[in-house]
Amino acid sequence: MSEIIIEPIDKYGLTISSESKKKQLFSKIGVVGAGKEGRTIINMAATAGMEVVFLDESQERIDYVMGELQKVMDQKISSWGLTPSEKKIIMNRITPTLVYEDFKGCDLVIECTRYSESGRRSTPLRKNIFKRLEEILDVDAIIASNGSTVIISELAADLDHKERCVSLYFPVSHPDARILEIVSGMYTSEEVYHKMEVFARLIKYKPHRINESNGNVSLRMLGVMLNEACQILLERVSSIEDIEETFTIIYGQRYGIFRMADIVGIERLVTLMEAMFNDFGVKHYKPNPILWKLYRSNQLGVRTGKGFYIYDNDGNPVSFNKNIV
Amino acid sequence: MKILVLNCGSSSIKYKLFEMESKEVIAQGGVEKIGMKGSFLKFTLADGQKVILEGEILEHRAGIEYILGVLLSEKYGCIQSLDEIEAVGHRVVHGGERFNESVLITDEVIEILNECIELAPLHNPPNLKGIYAIQELMPETPQVGVFDTAFHQTMPDYAYMYGIPYSLYEKYGIRRYGFHGTSHRYVSERVCEFLGVPYEEQRIITAHIGNGGSVTAIKNGKSMDTSMGMTPVEGLIMGTRSGDVDPGAISYIMEKEHMGTNGISTLLNKFSGVLGISGISSDMREISAAIESGNERAALAMETYNYRIKKYIGSYAAVLGGVDILVFTGGVGENQAVTRRDVCRNMEYMGIELDEALNDAVHGKEAVISKPSSKVKVVIIPTDEELTIANDTIKILEKG
Repeated sequence: MSEIIIEPIDKYGLTISSESKKKQLFSKIGVVGAGKEGRTIINMAATAGMEVVFLDESQERIDYVMGELQKVMDQKISSWGLTPSEKKIIMNRITPTLVYEDFKGCDLVIECTRYSESGRRSTPLRKNIFKRLEEILDVDAIIASNGSTVIISELAADLDHKERCVSLYFPVSHPDARILEIVSGMYTSEEVYHKMEVFARLIKYKPHRINESNGNVSLRMLGVMLNEACQILLERVSSIEDIEETFTIIYGQRYGIFRMADIVGIERLVTLMEAMFNDFGVKHYKPNPILWKLYRSNQLGVRTGKGFYIYDNDGNPVSFNKNIV
Repeated sequence: MKILVLNCGSSSIKYKLFEMESKEVIAQGGVEKIGMKGSFLKFTLADGQKVILEGEILEHRAGIEYILGVLLSEKYGCIQSLDEIEAVGHRVVHGGERFNESVLITDEVIEILNECIELAPLHNPPNLKGIYAIQELMPETPQVGVFDTAFHQTMPDYAYMYGIPYSLYEKYGIRRYGFHGTSHRYVSERVCEFLGVPYEEQRIITAHIGNGGSVTAIKNGKSMDTSMGMTPVEGLIMGTRSGDVDPGAISYIMEKEHMGTNGISTLLNKFSGVLGISGISSDMREISAAIESGNERAALAMETYNYRIKKYIGSYAAVLGGVDILVFTGGVGENQAVTRRDVCRNMEYMGIELDEALNDAVHGKEAVISKPSSKVKVVIIPTDEELTIANDTIKILEKG
């Protein structure tokens, strides 16, 4: 038989032509900074069928990130959550870059940079990123920041189109925690907020509207509970094991509160709780001495292999960290 | 008179255009990877030439528009105007309890189909998208829905009810619905025509076996029981689907492997069946090759696969009080002699005597493969779901 004829489909449309073609919302999105959270976003958006461009600082970082993305998907395959051919399709949608110009055509770019491994983030750096994004993106493209501290109004302040800025928080506690906290800042327009609701649903998250406030809802509650749990521990009212079981058995949580703190990251919680303390002036936000102790000794949870628990290389807890009290 | 048959999947559309006077297929092909990178429309011309049209196909509507565009085109087309297409027949996966036969699609039908989405969240939404697209592009053309579940709506309640609290049936419609109905109906009718016996007086077991598979017990033209259940996971061992598994084992696996509902669903739908047992492939041809080279797990997968079919045939013989005709159809049923042989082996006690030489010789065409002395006629009938959909479409047009 003769060879297969291959030609472009465009001229066979009845009403579709290149001019009339409407661009689908969120067909291409961008991510600046592919740390752990950035990678989660890349993975979810690509799984949902979006083209994802991500930017990181060097080729070595990019290679590392691509490797990590593969690893997460391989883990999913080995636990029967994904097929190898699905992985191939998803990986195909992900494009790494070193230059901002490649964000051209994105409907949404999410900034997820981490200034240092200690978890602090630099506001001037992030402001700069927002500005560069504004230079490249279409006027109706959304610029978002991933985080849980009050920042979005500040980041938006210097832009020409401040209404397009929004802040997002993806809870990291476990894979089924599919609620997206969408934070409207002072300038965020209703239209942009509603578009982000659409985005949330596309990646199979339930959107929650948050009016800009430190810690949003999820982490603010966690911070206070964690402080209380640490205090109980300090006063030797009970043991780590029993406090954990109080959460898992009595309150039916998937993980205990200390395990949860390790997953979220001690550095993130300490910084956030400090910020909440400064904002609200209320003592119960002040990080407990145990948290400071872990923070200063760089025992930051799952990411560093040590926190309230000791973890193996795959991030599974091996034992409690006996040095805490 | 021309009828277009559409089968819209989650990321694909298959189509066939029939000339109904001659029952000839005058155009066929499919769109794949809708909404993904690398989407394309592929079709085969009358002379066997294969054509692939590449380009962005973001949603089903666009896919259908390109299909119509190709049918109209000077280069590859076969019609001058869309008016030549008398009607469009759609394969619809789940009709719930509301549809026991094919229907003309009206606003009311669309509303009910929307209610059925919960029962078939993966399948019904694309079916509906196809219907909407035709409504928009060919507003005057009547559309007909042909349901995978409709043929099985004749099952008696004791056959479709599960042994779980009745309130769950009332609340969520949890019961056996069965699938491949169009195929079971077609091959059971066709086999009677082929053998020259009255359809209304036969006890027939149809085994539709392919990558997915189900067995149906048909008495006097009515489906009495079928192996697929509320979803297409129950029953036979399939390419990647588990078929029957102890429900107790499922909750145990979920606990041991820390799995959620999505995880267990993927495990049972995509990593089980022949692929899961063999660890090699879901494709029976690759399994056969592996058996040749001595792979024991492949042999086990094949044996388990065949055994399960046999078990269902035995139980349906009991349901029907004996069998007159056993039909094999579907990719594997039509082509894999070894499965037919193993299934029919040692069934002489119930009147099945396979002619092994004949069985080995026939591939993918209508043929009796039992011995003349066999009380049960064992027959291969290649299925033709699209033609059945086209025939139903015509029937409904004529009726109304």
